[in-house]
Amino acid sequence: MSIDPPEIPVWPFARKADAPLIPPPQLAELRSTCPIAQVELWDGSYAWLATRYHDVKALLRNPGLSSDTSLDGFPQSSETLKAARGAQKTFQRLDPPQHDVLRRMLTKDFSVSQIATLKPFIEALVDHLLDQIEAAGHPVDLVTALAEPLPAHVVCKILALPPDDFGFFLDRVGRFMALSSTPEQARTAAADIADYLAEVVTARKEDLADDLVSELIRKYLIPGALTEFELVHMLHLLVIGGFDTTANMIALGTILLLQNPGQMKDLREDPGLIQGAVEEMLRYLSVAHHVAFRLAKADIEISDICIHAGDGVIAPVSAANHDPEVFPDPQAFDVRRDARDHVAFGFGVHQCLGQHLARLELQVVFTKLLRRFPALRMAASPADLHFKDSMIYGVERCPVSW
Amino acid sequence: MHIEVAHERCIGAGNCVEIAPKYFTQGENDGLVQVLADSVDTPDTDAVERAADICPVGAILLSHTAPRP
Repeated sequence: MSIDPPEIPVWPFARKADAPLIPPPQLAELRSTCPIAQVELWDGSYAWLATRYHDVKALLRNPGLSSDTSLDGFPQSSETLKAARGAQKTFQRLDPPQHDVLRRMLTKDFSVSQIATLKPFIEALVDHLLDQIEAAGHPVDLVTALAEPLPAHVVCKILALPPDDFGFFLDRVGRFMALSSTPEQARTAAADIADYLAEVVTARKEDLADDLVSELIRKYLIPGALTEFELVHMLHLLVIGGFDTTANMIALGTILLLQNPGQMKDLREDPGLIQGAVEEMLRYLSVAHHVAFRLAKADIEISDICIHAGDGVIAPVSAANHDPEVFPDPQAFDVRRDARDHVAFGFGVHQCLGQHLARLELQVVFTKLLRRFPALRMAASPADLHFKDSMIYGVERCPVSW
Repeated sequence: MHIEVAHERCIGAGNCVEIAPKYFTQGENDGLVQVLADSVDTPDTDAVERAADICPVGAILLSHTAPRP
């Protein structure tokens, strides 16, 4: 009598068609049956998948796990992501100590207080975009009218780029991020962005001002602490990091609020709830659903499992953020939940550099959107919404009326 | 309760500043953690413990100093 071996799940997992905003149900199943499980990847290799909040945090903080995507055997969700991530030569894929040296060149510009100085600019920008939406009349696609332009303009402001160039970025970042792009398309998109940024650096060297790029040139490039290659790729990371993530949160967050009209009303009537609501949206949506991949450089013992040097590890923030031990009834969206301990921005040395900027943009946009359009409603049925299968989860279009 | 920070670990995430702004700030020149007061008042211990937990790199080290006899 033969016994079938237990099936090893294949990563990535699919979301439920009728519950597209929450993580794939297989994550919850594994969390209760096998919280550190083996999964099979696109190329037939295996990796460890951790689904409990505390295990995810422990792994992301463990110095024995490397983020260097160029290492042999580094796990990826698909061939395209492997090509895209392999093309990245930024500090995102470096380990300490080299990682820390580069990251610290940017920390002062993304501190809580420094980001707060952008509030007036972001408020004026949102007002302007909402004015344009109101003038255009409904229905409007919130993705093209608000979700994409807002973070794009903010990144252009920080890097002192011409606002007209944001269309170029949107296109290339979109191609870079889409899982459906071929590896070649992802590589080309990345190269286009790098070429553009190299031209910016060349021009800015001749015309130094007081923006972030000028500052990096002055403080680090000219004294030789940074090569031009490293600077271009650092800026590349800021562009990639600041676009899709926030744009997708704005679009998905709007859909999520519209699905919870009672809470949306509470939020509109009590703007004091906005900070907590944004944290809960970050937790619930966990849009960075293909990040937190690592390669073990050393043997690691965790929860009775021994991860060996050379093993791939996947520690999804989406799984951690839906752990019922930490967030009771995790599939319930509750703007009054204290969700601040979520790991939507990751954990460990690579935790999102732009997290305070993301928070500020989201707090401002939702406060103003709800107030400007109290009768906001979806202008498409749930079945007509197409969710983006990309590095960062999102929706193709978000038609709304008011 | 007494606060110490392992500066070499800090990556300037700033979560500590949001959770316990009475005790933590980010340096103007580098964005890295600075301790504003290293002795924690009793009503603030929960917030400071939360700041230590939320620090992505475990740079905040808390100890309980024994009372002097």
